Amino acid sequence: MYHVELLPSTTTHLTPGWTYVPDRGFDPAKAAITPTIGRKRGIREPGSRGDVSSRQANAIIRHLAELDRENHKDVHIPIPVKQKDAAGRGTRGKVTSNVRRILQSQKTFRNYLDDEEAALAQAAQATTQRPPANKVTKPSSLRRSSTPATTPKPESSRPKKQSSRVPASQRASMTPTEPPSATTTEDTEKEPKDKQALIKTEHDNDPLLRSFIPSAPSERIMLALLAEPPLTYNTSRAGPPITIKSQRYFCCMCGYWGKIRCKNCPSRTCGLDCYKLHEDSRCGAFY
Amino acid sequence: MGATKPRPSGKASIAKAQTLPARTFIIDNGAYTIKAGYAPDSIVEDETKALSACSVISNALAKTRDNRVYVGSQLDTHITDWNELMFRRPVEKGYTVNWEAQKEVWENSFFDEKTVRSKELRIAKPEETTLVLTEAPNALPVLQKNADEIVMEEWGFGGYLRCVGPSLNAWNEVQSLFGDPIVKKYDSAVSPRECLLVVDSGYSHTTVTPLYKGQPLQRAIRRLDLGGKHLTNYLKEMVSMRQYNMVDEAYIINEVKEAVCYVSDDFARDMERTWKGNRKRGQLDIDEGVTVDYVLPDPNGSKKGFMRPHDPLLNAKKRKSAISGATAEALSEDVLVLSNERFTVPEILFSPSDIGMKQAGITDMILQSLSVLPIGLHPALLANVLVVGGNSLIPGFMDRLEKDLREVASAECTVRVRRPQDPIRSTWLGASRLATNKEEMKKIAITRQEYQENGSAWAGRKFTGPV
Repeated sequence: MYHVELLPSTTTHLTPGWTYVPDRGFDPAKAAITPTIGRKRGIREPGSRGDVSSRQANAIIRHLAELDRENHKDVHIPIPVKQKDAAGRGTRGKVTSNVRRILQSQKTFRNYLDDEEAALAQAAQATTQRPPANKVTKPSSLRRSSTPATTPKPESSRPKKQSSRVPASQRASMTPTEPPSATTTEDTEKEPKDKQALIKTEHDNDPLLRSFIPSAPSERIMLALLAEPPLTYNTSRAGPPITIKSQRYFCCMCGYWGKIRCKNCPSRTCGLDCYKLHEDSRCGAFY
Repeated sequence: MGATKPRPSGKASIAKAQTLPARTFIIDNGAYTIKAGYAPDSIVEDETKALSACSVISNALAKTRDNRVYVGSQLDTHITDWNELMFRRPVEKGYTVNWEAQKEVWENSFFDEKTVRSKELRIAKPEETTLVLTEAPNALPVLQKNADEIVMEEWGFGGYLRCVGPSLNAWNEVQSLFGDPIVKKYDSAVSPRECLLVVDSGYSHTTVTPLYKGQPLQRAIRRLDLGGKHLTNYLKEMVSMRQYNMVDEAYIINEVKEAVCYVSDDFARDMERTWKGNRKRGQLDIDEGVTVDYVLPDPNGSKKGFMRPHDPLLNAKKRKSAISGATAEALSEDVLVLSNERFTVPEILFSPSDIGMKQAGITDMILQSLSVLPIGLHPALLANVLVVGGNSLIPGFMDRLEKDLREVASAECTVRVRRPQDPIRSTWLGASRLATNKEEMKKIAITRQEYQENGSAWAGRKFTGPV
């Protein structure tokens, strides 16, 4: 059994791209093979499925596009006509072909982005992939993760850490090759004193107790980092969240927590008052 | 890149083009406002005084209800009726896209004698002026090329520098902001901050840009596609659904947003406070403080909108006064009641998942940015987080960001999040300080002659990095 489903996509074509995908809904014949997506479970626990349905995803994309709009209606605001355009030009002479082309272009950002994506896709086929960039340095990254953040450090090799107001950052940014900046002058004085104050204990080499102060990357690494070309528009977009918080739902009527899920559409309401209101007026209006 | 060689121009300018013109005009071309003005000749230590040279001009063409079109700075002076105002903005998603409109705004604000706001904003002789133009990070190369060509070929500036906007903030005097000791070096020129993490939350998007000695670490720049525009539209949508239909009132809702929105430090608590069930139980005092009324502007009486404490009995009072024949003024007043809208709207900057967006919030975005940098840099960057852009002015924004960042950052790192005195004009101020450092400018800016000899493709490479 097949049905037609609109896959979520961010393209803004007026004719949406339709595609055929296999039906993943409940099918008694296949229930034994794919038992996890039962019909009833799908209805009762919409959140337990990791992914939202394509209809919902499409609705979200539409909503985001709506939020991105400048005006609610499509309007064209023409440039006010001046008496004589060339009057202000004066000494500037004629318009060059570049300028004329740019001024007449009515391309939107979307058009330019599509152009660039196409160009990049073409370039990617031609050239080989650059080596992964994150190989530049990872000093003691292993130790970092194994160091408990809250470990008390009574025998810390750097006792001034707790008392001193100077953050570890300033110390870390200090390397011999760098010119001493305003923020690091204080540390240069403390560094020799610090070495004298070391009290030797057998725990000094204990990886669990050692205080972690990452070494600043060398000047060479920094220069390499600075010389890197900018990322493309799409790669610089922030990725999905690292710390996964549970999805919060809000009442579509009053904005309070969305505790009840509508039986007909994916929107939520906070209580029976709002649910009745929703059912009478807006149910199905969005999806 | 088949960049055609631009035409040679008058002999006089060619002779002069060898060196950068001394006067520097800075345009921080934002999507909502342009921040522009001449840089001072030498460093002005007093920030307020330095900022007096910088004007904020709306970067838009606006059409009023009666079909009149206003451009740029005219928006502030000519428009009295803000209802149903439509905008056309040359900057889309933070990048200057439509140069037809952008040229109109610039001409109107900087070049045309008749419309320019003050003499200090007029560029009388572009060929004797160096232009510093900002752009959002990760711009499309095509758009960068367009900007270069227009600037050099349409107006013919004597010198030109295009740079990533947030990076200019490193030139500001931020030591006092972070409470670091200020070491004054009177003899030397102004230098950039060594490590700075700039969060720029503007109209179209929010970016995180780690800087090292004033230069962006390109691989770590991240962008969240949410900005002030989205907040306004989100609030507009909520208000239109729950109260009056305001879908065409972007300008008014923006004013409402600026007046009432705040970032909650305890989302769940504020949510409970604004629950409508409290009202039924007669616990009126609980939601006091969060729920407010916003009196909408009245174009006929030319009154501005304003916020006031919520009056739950307002409707009853109105009815009563209508019976007793009160003044029409009190009756014609339109009031928006804002409760959880006040904090759920800016909340999407911190958790975009609230509107179903699959991107990380600002805090996570900072971590993502740091994750691709050497660990040795993390403490230095986390201790120097500078927030610029209009959204940082939302009350509670700074505290929330610092609190959230403190929670997720490594315990060994100090987290300091600061906002400059004027977060909107901070980038401009940084540029004006950079402009006084002639040595540095000579290194990074290009002259008109160089452009004419080498073309726009070369200029693009020059601004991206060392040629």
